[in-house]
Amino acid sequence: MKVALFSPMPPERSGIADYSALLLPALRARCEIVTVKRGARRPPRGTDLSVYHIGNDPVAHGWIVDALRRTAGLVVLHDFVLHHLVSGITLGRGNGKAYLDALERDAGLPARLLGYAVMEKRIPPLWENRPEDFPLAGEVLGLATGLIVHSRYVHDRARAYGFTGPIWIVPHPAFPVPELPAAEVGGEPLFASFGNVNASKRIPQLLEAFARVRPERDAARLLLVGATSPGFDLDRRLQRLGLDDAGLVREGYVHENRLWQLMMAADVHVNLRSPTMGETSGTAIRALSLGKPLIVSDVGWFSELPADVALRVPVDEHEVETLVAALELLTTRPDVRTAMGAAARELALREHDLGQVAELYVAAFEQAAGGGAVGDAVLREVSEAAADVGIAPGSAAASEIAERLGEVGLGG
Amino acid sequence: MRIAVCRPQVPFAHGGAEIFTDTLVAELRARGHEAEIVSVPFKWYPGARVLTQAFTWRLLDLTESDGKPIDLVVATKFPSYAVRHPEKRVWLVHQFRQAYELDRTDLGQFGESPEDRAIRRQVQELDRVALGEARRLFATSGNVAGRLERSTGLVAEVLPHPAQALDYHDEGHGDFILSVNRLDRAKRVDLLIEAAALEPSLQVVVVGEGPDGDRLRGLVADRGVDDRVRFAGRVDADELARLYATCFASFYAPVDEDFGLGPYESFLSGKPVVTATDAGGPLDVVHDGSTGRVVAPEAAEVASAAVWLRDHPAEAVAFGRAGKAIAVEVTWDRAIGRLLA
Repeated sequence: MKVALFSPMPPERSGIADYSALLLPALRARCEIVTVKRGARRPPRGTDLSVYHIGNDPVAHGWIVDALRRTAGLVVLHDFVLHHLVSGITLGRGNGKAYLDALERDAGLPARLLGYAVMEKRIPPLWENRPEDFPLAGEVLGLATGLIVHSRYVHDRARAYGFTGPIWIVPHPAFPVPELPAAEVGGEPLFASFGNVNASKRIPQLLEAFARVRPERDAARLLLVGATSPGFDLDRRLQRLGLDDAGLVREGYVHENRLWQLMMAADVHVNLRSPTMGETSGTAIRALSLGKPLIVSDVGWFSELPADVALRVPVDEHEVETLVAALELLTTRPDVRTAMGAAARELALREHDLGQVAELYVAAFEQAAGGGAVGDAVLREVSEAAADVGIAPGSAAASEIAERLGEVGLGG
Repeated sequence: MRIAVCRPQVPFAHGGAEIFTDTLVAELRARGHEAEIVSVPFKWYPGARVLTQAFTWRLLDLTESDGKPIDLVVATKFPSYAVRHPEKRVWLVHQFRQAYELDRTDLGQFGESPEDRAIRRQVQELDRVALGEARRLFATSGNVAGRLERSTGLVAEVLPHPAQALDYHDEGHGDFILSVNRLDRAKRVDLLIEAAALEPSLQVVVVGEGPDGDRLRGLVADRGVDDRVRFAGRVDADELARLYATCFASFYAPVDEDFGLGPYESFLSGKPVVTATDAGGPLDVVHDGSTGRVVAPEAAEVASAAVWLRDHPAEAVAFGRAGKAIAVEVTWDRAIGRLLA
């Protein structure tokens, strides 16, 4: 069986490119995979199944949507909210009408009118301040013959959106941990947040909570790693909260090895997010591989992390207070940190093993490529046998047969 | 209790699974239960027929019979466990192995077409559903349980089934090694014949018949070991008990066997077992240096292990005793007690 894979690949800088590169050798050990060159519009000849990795970045995934439009196939949906992607491949290509159509498809005429307002610059862009309200996933879901998703959350949202095809939930694979020494950062304990420093990573709430904890816990430190997003005035916030170099350690964008070393140094990984685009966090997966306890926002995929691995913080009016309690607990109870870390490592081995994830992927490929024909063959044989003995379509007996077929995944 | 023991039937074939289920029914009846075999013919080819035939089980209503409730069903082998029942117990002999560890081997069934690949996955999906809904799930060996857990994530309790009733006894440390098995390539009786060819003092008795019989007899002739390797063919119960009683050890080393009754029969006669590291089920009870010898599946290794047991009677007797202590614990009383609990 030959599978054509449409995905960004290194050296392209994209989390999904890294993801595909990690997974590809394990997939190739189980299945014939052809990676399609960037920009190609069709799968190679002899392809049994086309697989499209779709994320929210129009630069990385625009050409993949173009190919999906020509040849339907299995979509690996990395984000449920695709507003950035869709705006990029519509407005970004000078096709305002397509953007308006996507909005109307999502949420009716009022959304189309909002789109007009955006295009006339009367209101701020929806992809900046309200993307979660308008996911714009309709076209991609309409073209997909099946979905691979990484969480129950995205599965449920796709179903709620009306997607009726098969969906396979395949966990994100764990990254192999490189053999590197941990960075020397200090802090007892050292809390760390990795990724862009901005409001959607709940950095304001984290800083405020840490500033409240720090006076009583002066050995604790907070490490922020990642570029500061434009318009986010980190320095002024730090100054206002009285967080100086003794309490806060700052590193901007870092390369892969340094990232791992800093992740190893951290005692607790803080991975907050709101709103969520339905994504799975690669940095949270790395934390699991390293056996680090997590503090996460109680949203989307993060809500599915077990309680013995992650302290989940609801995004509500008590968010800062809950964060303070979480930081306090993990500062004063190293035994809890140790237990959570062990549970995290165990979860990474159990759920995110690369070989196991590849096996689930190939199972989905095989079912997506041949499942329809097999289902048809089974239904044909069963219905012919039923018809031979006078069981009419729609009769009670036929309904029971259909129900039994459905129970064991044979359609009906 | 009224108990239906479910097994698929391959018309005109009769093997270990049939003997096992017939015996289970007899043992249940002996304990006052009303037990019956429920059987449906099974054909697993071509194409999607494996699924439609499996689906037949799903349509059966075994909740009651002739107005009286059936309290419990015991399913044994693919696809009989697709049956629906609120008190479904599965005592798994094996899954449809072509969809699992035999895939892409000479013994596999499914090719590389998308349809074949999808049928295989659908068999696995059916297993996950049908085995997952069982009230209790047992496997005949650690090997079967391990395969099940690796393939579906389902955890089964290991419940070996007792050996056939024979007049097991021990007449002492004999001068030959015994093979009791169907003559089939997967049983690897040729390993023992090649071992005899390598070790001129080794005496062998081979019990059983099967499709590999002619080849094995030819191999014996080719190697010039006719005088030391005797084919006893099929033997009756008394003769089988006598052979076990008079050998110094038995050889039982199939490839990745599901369960394997041979070691239990050998142990009940006080005789140790020579097996191979990749034998599967037998490794639950044959432990190297404790109840027998576990060696690489190579003729030289088998020869060396057999000669060692022959030439170390005290150790061989001790290993046989240790094996017997394990085998006597595997009784129908205990097995049925757990099955129905």
